[in-house]
Amino acid sequence: MKAVGARLPRYDGIEHVTGRTQYVDDVRVPGTLWTKALRSPAHSATFDGLDTSKAEAMPGVHAVITWKDVPLLEYGHLSALGIPADEPLLAKDEVRYKGQPIALVAAEDEETAMAAVEAIGIELEEREPLLDIRRAFDDDAPKIHQWGNWYPHFEGEMDCRQIRKGSIDDAFAQADTIVQGVYRPAAIEHVPLETQVSLVVPEANGRLTIYSCTQALYFSMGVVAAHLGLPLNKLKVVGGTVGGGFGGKVDTATETMCALLAQKSGRPVKWRWTREEEFLCSSTRAPWHMEVADAVTKDGWILGRKMLTLHDSGAYARFSPYGLTKHSFHHTGAYTIPNLHFDGYVVFTNRVPTTAMRGFGVTSVSFATETHMSRIADVLGLDPYEVRLKNANRIGDTSPNRIVYTDPSTVPVVKALAGGMDVELAPEYAAMGPGQREGDLLPEHLVAQLADPEDH
Amino acid sequence: MTQATEVLLPASPDEASEQFGDGDDVTVIGGGTIVVPELTHGRLVPKKALLLSRAGLDTLAHQGDTVTIGAGLPVHRLAELADDAQALAECALNVADYEVRRQGTVGGNVCAQPGPDAPRGDLQGPLLALDAVARSTGAGGERSEPLEDFLASRDGRLLLDLSFERPAASAFAALRYPHTHAYTVLAVSGVRTTSGETRLAATGVAEHGVRLHRAEGAVDDRGVAALADVELADDALASAWYRERALPVLVRRVLATLEEAA
Amino acid sequence: MKLTVNGISHELTSPPLATLLDVLREELGITSPKAGCEQGGCGSCTVLVDGEPQRACLTPLAAVDGSEVTTVEGLGSPEELSAVQQAFTHHYAAQCGFCTSGMMIAAEAYVARGGTDDHEAIQEALGGHVCRCTGYVKIIDAVAAVARGDSFDLTTTAPSAGMTNLGGVS
Repeated sequence: MKAVGARLPRYDGIEHVTGRTQYVDDVRVPGTLWTKALRSPAHSATFDGLDTSKAEAMPGVHAVITWKDVPLLEYGHLSALGIPADEPLLAKDEVRYKGQPIALVAAEDEETAMAAVEAIGIELEEREPLLDIRRAFDDDAPKIHQWGNWYPHFEGEMDCRQIRKGSIDDAFAQADTIVQGVYRPAAIEHVPLETQVSLVVPEANGRLTIYSCTQALYFSMGVVAAHLGLPLNKLKVVGGTVGGGFGGKVDTATETMCALLAQKSGRPVKWRWTREEEFLCSSTRAPWHMEVADAVTKDGWILGRKMLTLHDSGAYARFSPYGLTKHSFHHTGAYTIPNLHFDGYVVFTNRVPTTAMRGFGVTSVSFATETHMSRIADVLGLDPYEVRLKNANRIGDTSPNRIVYTDPSTVPVVKALAGGMDVELAPEYAAMGPGQREGDLLPEHLVAQLADPEDH
Repeated sequence: MTQATEVLLPASPDEASEQFGDGDDVTVIGGGTIVVPELTHGRLVPKKALLLSRAGLDTLAHQGDTVTIGAGLPVHRLAELADDAQALAECALNVADYEVRRQGTVGGNVCAQPGPDAPRGDLQGPLLALDAVARSTGAGGERSEPLEDFLASRDGRLLLDLSFERPAASAFAALRYPHTHAYTVLAVSGVRTTSGETRLAATGVAEHGVRLHRAEGAVDDRGVAALADVELADDALASAWYRERALPVLVRRVLATLEEAA
Repeated sequence: MKLTVNGISHELTSPPLATLLDVLREELGITSPKAGCEQGGCGSCTVLVDGEPQRACLTPLAAVDGSEVTTVEGLGSPEELSAVQQAFTHHYAAQCGFCTSGMMIAAEAYVARGGTDDHEAIQEALGGHVCRCTGYVKIIDAVAAVARGDSFDLTTTAPSAGMTNLGGVS
């Protein structure tokens, strides 16, 4: 193996430094039209009187599309994972987030496209928006989604992702103290330097060539094919050159609409988002609300964890149920807790729908878990490294969803952290390794969860 | 749209004044750092655009103790005034970044209207503390007035230059936060004149930079007195609550620096 | 209106208020400067105008009529890379590459005006340039290497030197 351990130059390094890397917006196809969108100015509203006639009649305007032009208006991007469709490609009768696209115009130049968008008639009637996930469960909260205010289609038509393990009641009864914490990381914008963009070229043979900044080429191809009712062999997607994605370019945010405009106008169509659109209208990492209550002994063992998570999905489901599921599997983080009671909800709000971002679903609970471990140490007056090392995942321990750890890294990593911070661990802790629990490291409450890693 | 805009490119200060006329329907473009994005995003469609890049307004002159700054001077050149007016040089070097400072002009910065989300016009602060005189043209011809008055009525005026007398000492204190990128949340400038008078001004505290007259005249805690000179509001950079607590601190820092320079 | 771009002079048809960025990308097909924000906030559009680094997205064509413009295409070619281009390659200073054009133009100008390998000075010079991929460390290392006059082996990349001191306690 010659590549492993070698310091190899990037295969696209020379292109990057000579300005020759071709991003979507650098592709030049004669006759390309510019696109601008009419976007909802309101968080939540019904609308009628959508009138595109003046825009269509404007000189230089080649096509205008609304929901009526979309063969399959709602397509569940993760229907293969059991998440049904809930989001229209273009708004029909109502808008559920500020920035939601309602109509798109393809024109000879940017200025004409902007003027045409201004000329689209629409009458909006605003409604009370729901912007705080905690309010979603109140009886008097606005009802903002056809499924109710939170996602109800987990397996068995459950309305939350549940994990139950052992007996949380026993854990709470045996605890010396209950340590509680609430963790609320905010939304995070990906801010890729390259904004969302695609260019779709209608070919003479009836196929569409799609230049896309997607991070998920075949996935986006499937999404476009489904909305347009086209077989996959009618699409050719050119991609793989992404000016930063970080999870935000899995949404297939522009390709389908450009494809419709390309079909309708018979011309190549490009839609490049402005930085303002990227900030205000592109999907973000979700905000979360996590409540953790750990049953702990005075010498720092965690007997059980009771946890409630609310995940802000924004106006539509997109990938949120999947993200929450991953979150639930990791809700004890790098530590082994045998008695668990976890409930997680994907909650809808009138915000931009949220999406993946590096560590989708898991960074939130890592943040909560690590902060909580330090909080436990603080409440009990114990060393935060020692609390972590005691409860650390070890060979043979099992995760919340019963995965058996065969090579967990918690112990060596925590010891390396201590080393890096010039913290001297007490001898018994400095001697710890990730090997199967025994003796003092195998208290009663951890016996039942232990599994034989050879069996797995 | 901007295809229909009449573009005027004066080659001298006189031509600039003449083409500006009474300013009706004229959008002035100094370096372009503030106005050009408005054109790009279709938020502004000028009937006439007066580009000052070649108008010869990028002057910096010393005459005795008087310094005169042409409105077209690029912001970064105020670094040359480090000995004459330290606060102005320091404020200038705090504006945006290396490239934007070379492109943006003093006039563009001073005349900037407040942004939609945040205040602009950092240079107003030290220039107010210096009690600079603004020379402008427009309807009724040329006039010179204290910058404070100019800022209150600059519609229809083309700023030509700003003059001030070299102070005995000056000081600048700003809240600089990485999260606000190129924008200054709050800043205070102070000047002690050769006759011993102390002047204070702040930016980020109102629609435009203001003199802190009540703070200047206060006997006790001038930091707290400054709160009566300002109209704090929440914006994209910071809350009024936060600025209310930070302003007195910056005022005290500036006054302390001025005292040390005594 | 006229521009000389990377040594070649052009008579332009773009209107006087077209931005230099649009003139370069749309009329002349020179695509290394990028439309990252079109409001001067990110630095990905920076080019050299008469030798000075300037935001092309903020520059009306009329303001630079007759000027000499240099873009990354004019810095060097795959067969003959400039020192900055070599440094960015060897020090792995580009990931997605979108900010790279602007960074290199700013770096070229910094070195041309005698910039040293002092990290704080480099940060000040490149402070208007945003990168979301690299965390800036290797970009600063690359510029420092050019300032020092290092030569570069392009068949390999520089070893990790640990964290670059970005201004905190060393």
